[in-house]
Amino acid sequence: MIQVFHIYKNFGPNIALSDVNLKIHKGEFSFITGPSGAGKTTLLRLLFGAEKPTSGHILINGINLNRISRSKLDLLRRKIGFVFQDFKLLPNKTVFENVALALEVTGESRSFVKKKTHQTLRLVGLAKKEKAFPLQLSGGEQQRVAIARAVVKDPLLLLADEPTGNLDPDLTRDIMVLFRSIHMKGTTVVIATHSRELLEDTAQRIVLLSGGRVIEEQ
Amino acid sequence: MKPRLWPYLIKQAFANIKNNGLVHLIGLGTMVVSLLIFGTFLLLFVNLNAWIEGWGDSVSMSIYLEDGADDRAVEKIATYIESLPSARIKNRISKREALEELRKSLGSQAGLLEGLSRNPLPASLEVVFEDVEGRTIEFKSVKQELEKMEGVEEAQYSEEWLRRFEGLINIVKLVGYVVGGLLCVGVLFIVTNTIKLTIYSRKEEIKILKLVGATDLFVKIPFLLEGMFHGIVSGVSSVLALFLGYLLVSGKKIQILDLPFLDVIFIPGEYVFAMILISVALGLVGSFVAVGSFFEI
Repeated sequence: MIQVFHIYKNFGPNIALSDVNLKIHKGEFSFITGPSGAGKTTLLRLLFGAEKPTSGHILINGINLNRISRSKLDLLRRKIGFVFQDFKLLPNKTVFENVALALEVTGESRSFVKKKTHQTLRLVGLAKKEKAFPLQLSGGEQQRVAIARAVVKDPLLLLADEPTGNLDPDLTRDIMVLFRSIHMKGTTVVIATHSRELLEDTAQRIVLLSGGRVIEEQ
Repeated sequence: MKPRLWPYLIKQAFANIKNNGLVHLIGLGTMVVSLLIFGTFLLLFVNLNAWIEGWGDSVSMSIYLEDGADDRAVEKIATYIESLPSARIKNRISKREALEELRKSLGSQAGLLEGLSRNPLPASLEVVFEDVEGRTIEFKSVKQELEKMEGVEEAQYSEEWLRRFEGLINIVKLVGYVVGGLLCVGVLFIVTNTIKLTIYSRKEEIKILKLVGATDLFVKIPFLLEGMFHGIVSGVSSVLALFLGYLLVSGKKIQILDLPFLDVIFIPGEYVFAMILISVALGLVGSFVAVGSFFEI
């Protein structure tokens, strides 16, 4: 699903990633971990095509992100869900509208968008909050809306950047249960986190980054 | 672009306009005023042209007679005039009548004429050539022919100064082009900046749209529609405002230099269409420029 070959990423004189090599197979549940500034978010942004590497190659589902056109990248992103630490929800749209947005851009029929959005909101336990606005929700609920938006299009790959960073332990557990259920449906899941507790709870593949390098893989 | 996306994109364009109402209102107001100035020049140009054409349809000629020209000579002149196509003697003005007319036009200054030992004004014949359009009348040679005749002191015809008036039309035309060009650039600048402001206000939303897989076209189309809407509304509003102005002016009687009363006409349908079309084109180009510098996500 994901192949990373000798990736380097510099921001001016700062080296964010240095000679990163990685393979994540289809259907895997993986964590990318490491201290703050290790390069976790940068790696995730590169996997999503939000940044271009300084050198090296990234293949997602066999497609080289270095050689992909902007329009093809847009289409590829429809197969990738991304969950942000700060949720990135639109405050002037309802929960339903925020989630439906991911399907509306693809040109799906209204009836399909409606049906799929309802289903997904039920999956994340927010069926009764469809008409609420993000700012009327708790942090955990907002994160669940963000996850619903990422998975509503049945992505092949789900990337999540510190998805529990702002949540208390109980909510963290709920969110992780949600990721597990999405993974059980066949979606490859990659989560970037610096939380040790999160890693202890689950026995999955862990990639440890430090100073922009992969220093350990379990 | 899937056809079923269009209702969503149109809805989005109107939502943008609603959410940035004040910015749009200021942009629209400025655009309407600019187009109105352009339209006023167009109206002026169209009317000047129509007036000149109208006056040209009936050229008048004044034939000043020598003092003491006898009746036989005057009759000979009259016969010559009546032999010309579409010519008619409108008035025969005697020396006394000419002085009387001058006295009337001087009004309170008429006392100046009291000191004259003799009447210096010549008798004259007022001749009109009606419906001359399409006919080949050489006014210059008629004038020369008349001035050779016995009893004629001088002949003057209105087309001489009409020609000079055409020079004025050319100046109005030139000023219109320059002002129109500058206004077009101004309107383009206004639309571009209005759309840029709405893009800026939706920056976060656009980022999210791109992150969930929206194509560039999907993001840009609502802004292009906004620009087009701007163009349509400003074009139609400025034409309506121009028409209101026209209604106010057309009720008044306008007269220049003792010429017949002037009828004010509105710009023809094709010019109205062109004005709206230019406005829509400017709206579209402006929004195109604004979204052209789209940030890469």
